[in-house]
Amino acid sequence: MVDAVVEPFLQMNGVGKWFGNLQVLHDVTFSVKKSEKIVVCGPSGSGKSTMIRCINRLEKHQMGQIHVNGIELTDQKKNIDRVRQEVGMVFQNFNLYPHLTILENCTIAPRWVKGIGRKEAEDIALRFLERVRIPEKAHFYPSQLSGGQQQRVAIARSLCMNPKVMLFDEPTSALDPELVREVLETMAQLAADGMTMICVTHEMGFARQVADRVIFMDEGKIVEVASPDEFFDDPKESRTRRFLKQILY
Amino acid sequence: MDFNYIALALPDLLRGVRMTLVVSALAILISLAIAIVGAFLRSLPFKPLHYLVTGYVEFIRGTPYLVQIFFIFYGFPTIGLTLSVFWSGVMALGIWASAYHIENLRAGLAAVGNGMRDASASLGLKPLHHGLFVVFPIALRAALPSIMNTIVSTIKNSAYLQAIGLIELTYVAVEKISYEFRAVEMFASICVIYLACIFTVSGLGHVLERRLKRPYLGR
Repeated sequence: MVDAVVEPFLQMNGVGKWFGNLQVLHDVTFSVKKSEKIVVCGPSGSGKSTMIRCINRLEKHQMGQIHVNGIELTDQKKNIDRVRQEVGMVFQNFNLYPHLTILENCTIAPRWVKGIGRKEAEDIALRFLERVRIPEKAHFYPSQLSGGQQQRVAIARSLCMNPKVMLFDEPTSALDPELVREVLETMAQLAADGMTMICVTHEMGFARQVADRVIFMDEGKIVEVASPDEFFDDPKESRTRRFLKQILY
Repeated sequence: MDFNYIALALPDLLRGVRMTLVVSALAILISLAIAIVGAFLRSLPFKPLHYLVTGYVEFIRGTPYLVQIFFIFYGFPTIGLTLSVFWSGVMALGIWASAYHIENLRAGLAAVGNGMRDASASLGLKPLHHGLFVVFPIALRAALPSIMNTIVSTIKNSAYLQAIGLIELTYVAVEKISYEFRAVEMFASICVIYLACIFTVSGLGHVLERRLKRPYLGR
């Protein structure tokens, strides 16, 4: 028997996207293996958010192919639903449901998407709330929590759907500085547990410590892909060096 | 002011206020039902429906309410739809209020924000569940103050229905004045009665608003 080629878990191939006449993604090609941790960085407007939002079809790409766990993302609703079950996402502004308690935020999708019973869904939710270390807030409302706590709830809410890959879209950008650490620690723990992760973030310490690869984007293109050590200590591209000079104070 | 006269007139006035409340309650229910359907249709990505609902709202808001009442009561029978005084009144009042409620809900829907849609989509929630469990409750909270406003106006505007002979509170007062000439007593009394009704309803609205906004501990 021939050795099975390790299929990448996620693959983007020549992906292009336009907002009206403006091309925001140019020929984006990369793949992610299972358990790999990718950090995506780049100046604002470089297309990094748009790129990861294409992975669960919050944005529609107009060129190229995206495969998640062997499923190609097309207009087919069935495929989109399947991919969304595999992919969890955490947003810059948390996007918790303000009118639901923390527990209800975590159980709504398991109950209505997967049809899990209320009791079981609550058990699952409490387990993940414990994992992000806020089980005691289960019956609070999002507005009663700090930003860092809300973001950890958002992570737990995603995990309740048992995703195989987690997307983070600038998860700490809306947080007060003293709340960033607790969220990054939760993410690092998730990484240590073997979760496949794609993180758009400017937390360079996190990137260095957790990432397997760093992808640098500018003007909708992937400029450089490198290991964190290479990326920070010996970047190949002058555009990357300029960017690092600007953000590292 | 002759309070004895008011005391004697009270049973008639109470019969009137009962009709006012029944007509208003039905009109409020109908207007909210029309508005929910209207707001839903307008939210669909099918432009003709959007124009249809917007046209409805602009037509109702752009024509005098009294004309609408006459149109339904005197105009509809000629196109084969004859309604009793009571149902003409309910329909006229309900249709009038629905246009305003559609706009109230629009403001509520605008308050929901794109982040909720992203969250639901990424979790795989079906549009139906997203609408029922996320959009509707959030929009309702945001729209509630203006919805209460329109509900209060609905009750007050039931007074216009005396123009087609609906025996509600204002009709009773006007009728009695035409026989007994106690204008001050009658108008003062019905003002107090209207005020009592409105205060009760807006009080209930505030309770509901507080309840929905309350981020409470435990369950």
